[in-house]
Amino acid sequence: MAHANGNSIDTSQLLKGVLDLAVLAVLADHDSYGYEVLRQLRDSGLDGVGDASVYGTLRRLYQAGALKSYVVPSDEGPHRKYYGLNDRGRSALDQSTKTWGSFTRALDHLLNGRSTANAR
Amino acid sequence: MPDSSQANDVASYASAVRAALAPLPDAERESLLEDLENHLAEVASESDLSLQERLGPPEDYAAELRSAYGSGNETSSGRHRPVRERTAALLKSVSSNLTYPDLRALLPELRPGWWVLRAYLVVLFLAFLFRDGGNLRPIPNPFTSGGLLQIVASLVAIGISVRLGRRALPAKRGWRWAVVSVNVAIALLALPVLASMGTGYNNGYSYDYSSEPNFSAASAGYYPGVTNIYPYSKDGKPLKDVLLYDQDGRPLVPSRSDIVIDVPIGPDGLPIPNAYPLTERQPTGDPVVPPRVALPPSQTSVPTPSPAATPSP
Repeated sequence: MAHANGNSIDTSQLLKGVLDLAVLAVLADHDSYGYEVLRQLRDSGLDGVGDASVYGTLRRLYQAGALKSYVVPSDEGPHRKYYGLNDRGRSALDQSTKTWGSFTRALDHLLNGRSTANAR
Repeated sequence: MPDSSQANDVASYASAVRAALAPLPDAERESLLEDLENHLAEVASESDLSLQERLGPPEDYAAELRSAYGSGNETSSGRHRPVRERTAALLKSVSSNLTYPDLRALLPELRPGWWVLRAYLVVLFLAFLFRDGGNLRPIPNPFTSGGLLQIVASLVAIGISVRLGRRALPAKRGWRWAVVSVNVAIALLALPVLASMGTGYNNGYSYDYSSEPNFSAASAGYYPGVTNIYPYSKDGKPLKDVLLYDQDGRPLVPSRSDIVIDVPIGPDGLPIPNAYPLTERQPTGDPVVPPRVALPPSQTSVPTPSPAATPSP
């Protein structure tokens, strides 16, 4: 497992904290299965996210009762286990969105303050 | 990549991941891996590369899975979590399987066993105090008066002990303490008695080792150096089948085990191990040549012991 060193932010550590939120956000759009969730996350620019992390997060959120799940048979490939938000998942997403909002505002404020201070 | 080899790839990768997650509790692992094969197949179908090339070693994949699955309550200490989980699981299985509760539940059922044992030990201790030089044996010889007395006393004591044991412990603290100490005292007093068993020369004698061709530890004789006795009559004739007994009336038996002895069988079918001289045979089966003896000079004729002196059984 990589760790942040003095020079750069370790993206994988950052992702770890927000992967729940990211997965919930993907599923809020429409129900999806593991590999498609991964692809959507990567398409959104989170290309450091690992397959196992997404799979493990989906299973954990499902176990925690935040997701519904059903299997869709497929003709050409393996059966797909679809996941979607239930009420608890939706409220978890709302809650996490708020937390994320205040967190990023605080950090933006810090960073902007420093950059304006540097500009002076 | 053809379908069949892709399926093999998925199966072997999934089983490696499963193996790497073996330390997890079964239910947790199965819930985590429920959909793994389908998911991996999906990943594999997107590319011709093997899963190993796309996802890295299965062990790393398993570690990442585990981390993501348990990431809800782990932070920077996440690296130590597997060890902690493993320890906790081990402790849990030990405490649930090592049967301390079972053992405690079993103890009351063992009580009657102790009632019998303590009666036996008390009689054994008394026999130890009042024995007349003989050595104690775990089960006394019923064909001696002392042994018979000991057996009868044991039976009576067991009856009393069980009867006492079936009564409830006295409610009063002092009495209860006294009862417990008496039991502990019996166990402690029995220790030296039990320790003394089987040490020293075993004078006790019984015929129950007739099946053994040689008299080994069960019958160490009075004189450890003596392995055979050659009696002669006053006029110098070698005697045979002379039965020898010690001052307590117990048969004298030799203590060697490297010599095979042919034991004569009495009319009652029991072996007579103290008929001298013993008919010895070397381990090779050859008869042992009797020793030359110098008889007292007062004898009129000085016979030379010959192989004829060896009695035939």
